[in-house]
Amino acid sequence: MLLMIIALLVFILTYLCIITEWINKMLAALIGGFVIIVLGVVDQTIAFSAIDWNVIFFLIGMMLTISVMRETGMFMYIAIKTAKIAKGSPLKIMAMMFVATAVISAILGSVTTIMILIPIVLLIADELKITPAPFIITMVVASNMGGASTMIGDPPNILIASATKYTFVDFFLNLTPAVVIIVIGSLGLIWLLYRGKMYVSNERRAKIMEYNDKNLITNPKLLWITLGVVVLMLLAFIFQKPLHLENATIAMAAGLILVFIGSRKKVETIILNDIDWITIFFFIGLFMIVAGLVNTGFIDLLAQGVMSITSGKPKTTSMVILWLSGVLSAWIDNIPFVAAMIPMIKTIGSQMQNAAQVQPLWWALSLGTCLGGNGTLVGASANIVAVGIANRNGYKISFMDYTKIGLIFALESMLISSVYIWFRY
Amino acid sequence: MLLASFLEAHNILFENRVFTKEQVYQELVECLTDQYKLPVSSSKLLELILKREEEVSCAYPTGIAIPHIRLDGFNDTLIAMAFLQNPLDYNGIKISWVVLIITDITSSKIYLNIVAALLKLSKDSEAMAALASAGDGNSVIQYLKRKEVEVKKDVTVADIMVQNPIAVQPRNSLRELINLMGTNRVAGMPVVDETGKYIGEVNVLNLLKVGVPNYVMMLDNLSFLASYEPLENLLGKQDILFVKDIMTTGDVFVRPESSIIEAVFLLFSQNKRYLSVVKEEKLVGLVTAMDILIKVIAG
Repeated sequence: MLLMIIALLVFILTYLCIITEWINKMLAALIGGFVIIVLGVVDQTIAFSAIDWNVIFFLIGMMLTISVMRETGMFMYIAIKTAKIAKGSPLKIMAMMFVATAVISAILGSVTTIMILIPIVLLIADELKITPAPFIITMVVASNMGGASTMIGDPPNILIASATKYTFVDFFLNLTPAVVIIVIGSLGLIWLLYRGKMYVSNERRAKIMEYNDKNLITNPKLLWITLGVVVLMLLAFIFQKPLHLENATIAMAAGLILVFIGSRKKVETIILNDIDWITIFFFIGLFMIVAGLVNTGFIDLLAQGVMSITSGKPKTTSMVILWLSGVLSAWIDNIPFVAAMIPMIKTIGSQMQNAAQVQPLWWALSLGTCLGGNGTLVGASANIVAVGIANRNGYKISFMDYTKIGLIFALESMLISSVYIWFRY
Repeated sequence: MLLASFLEAHNILFENRVFTKEQVYQELVECLTDQYKLPVSSSKLLELILKREEEVSCAYPTGIAIPHIRLDGFNDTLIAMAFLQNPLDYNGIKISWVVLIITDITSSKIYLNIVAALLKLSKDSEAMAALASAGDGNSVIQYLKRKEVEVKKDVTVADIMVQNPIAVQPRNSLRELINLMGTNRVAGMPVVDETGKYIGEVNVLNLLKVGVPNYVMMLDNLSFLASYEPLENLLGKQDILFVKDIMTTGDVFVRPESSIIEAVFLLFSQNKRYLSVVKEEKLVGLVTAMDILIKVIAG
């Protein structure tokens, strides 16, 4: 009992450090992880075995892949081409950027997509002389939605995939349709919210049309190789069951091949700059802290609590989990939240009459967490990163500024998800 | 070390005749080749002195000329000097004391310190008068010993720095900064307060950054942009922005007594081209990488 309380305290403290940014989140998670061991809540072996290396190496592999993809210039090309196709019209740009962000985020993850695309949007907004805030907020929403749609998009799905052994195809068949409907709904929302509100002179639009995209693909040969390897990687994910390959291996293989072919001379630079070690070690520390919660029985308690509310009925439980995740993840960072929820849902699943009935719970967790993250400024990492970039460039987006809009999209997506889960499962 | 320790009495000449520059050099060269085994002939030595003089003048406004030859594989430092009753004319400067120094190609440190000691001596008019009237080599050596004229063992930043460098204050506008940079043809300068206390640095890149917002630096590739207004309109801000808006603080600096290697180390590790020299919080000088190269290594 005492150990459980200690484990819970460590989790909450680490969590507070992450929100307040009092200390670097990696440091907080690592300190928490080793404090758990030192205080005897779990021993080192158990803590270390809780580190999900599948997730860690998957992340590293994807970071390597993305690093080489960026080098080809393809993202700059897509973004500038999008702006030109939209003929400099702000509403069209917003809509097209929304879709582009969602699609790219489905493969690269929301934070990476945001870091690549937001600076370009700031430039375009500067040239068009309009405020970038609506673009930033809608792109953040799109990135969280896109990241929810595939197994490889956002960390919550990566964590869930590793824990459940559901395949890429499973995620695609169950989540992608929901997100597609949500994105279409969101485009409608954008039209409602912003039509007629953004005026840009023809002269300014012409500036955008003048952008020269010819030299943006800096290395055409590498581009084709990269696209080829990425397609192979996606195929490997799709056929991973018959191929008996797990996520980490596929991602690392793709990443290593690309670095070897494309950038092997710059390996040191890539390792130092393009791999987000802070995130990697943050995950490692987090896994250890959650091991503390699991081993002391806290998670079991939570699971029983939920079961007693829902009496184990799948549909009700799914709804509870969907909305619980949605509301909580608007305030709580996605990753620690999902890391703690995964063992809970596993426990609930083991107590259900039919093992297969646990499936919708997982999709509910995924949708709730990722989509709920859109609700407030602190709901997801992508939000915080985007607003940080905007702030550094003199555009202040306050908590309320963001939440006013983010909440609308969060509610829209949660409602669509509820309907989807209720009727599909 | 005492300067006197480097000198031999028979290498100190007092010349009453009216000689040309070449004749003085000839005399000094022969003085040395008579006693020492040198790897090159005296005519070659003379040639080397004259050739070097074409490149860089060895005359100083205090009336001393210090011709200098560096020989490859010559492991010693030789000095011969002549006090001239009839001063020579070096492009308008009257020179009454010529000191020939022959060193190894690599021994810049000892050479620089000897030059520093000689220059210091040449500024002391009382000492110069005493030396010029000493009459023979031994008396000169005795005088120098009595006065304890020293050759420092090490070269410090103080020996090669530019004193009282151009500096700017935080309250100066960017327009004033740009004018200062343009008139003095420098790409950067230290920042001081009204009392001369060293605060920080500002350079041309800090200036250009005004026209380049943060997000531009996050883009991977700017080749699609033919023009960029904020950069082109940079000069529109030169009266409303000030040095304090763009300067950096916390830059490394050196002290006058810092060694040359310390300065070079800092230039490399901080990727700078020059360092401010600060003594008791006040800016006293500037030392550039070019200064170190030319005055210490190639001098």
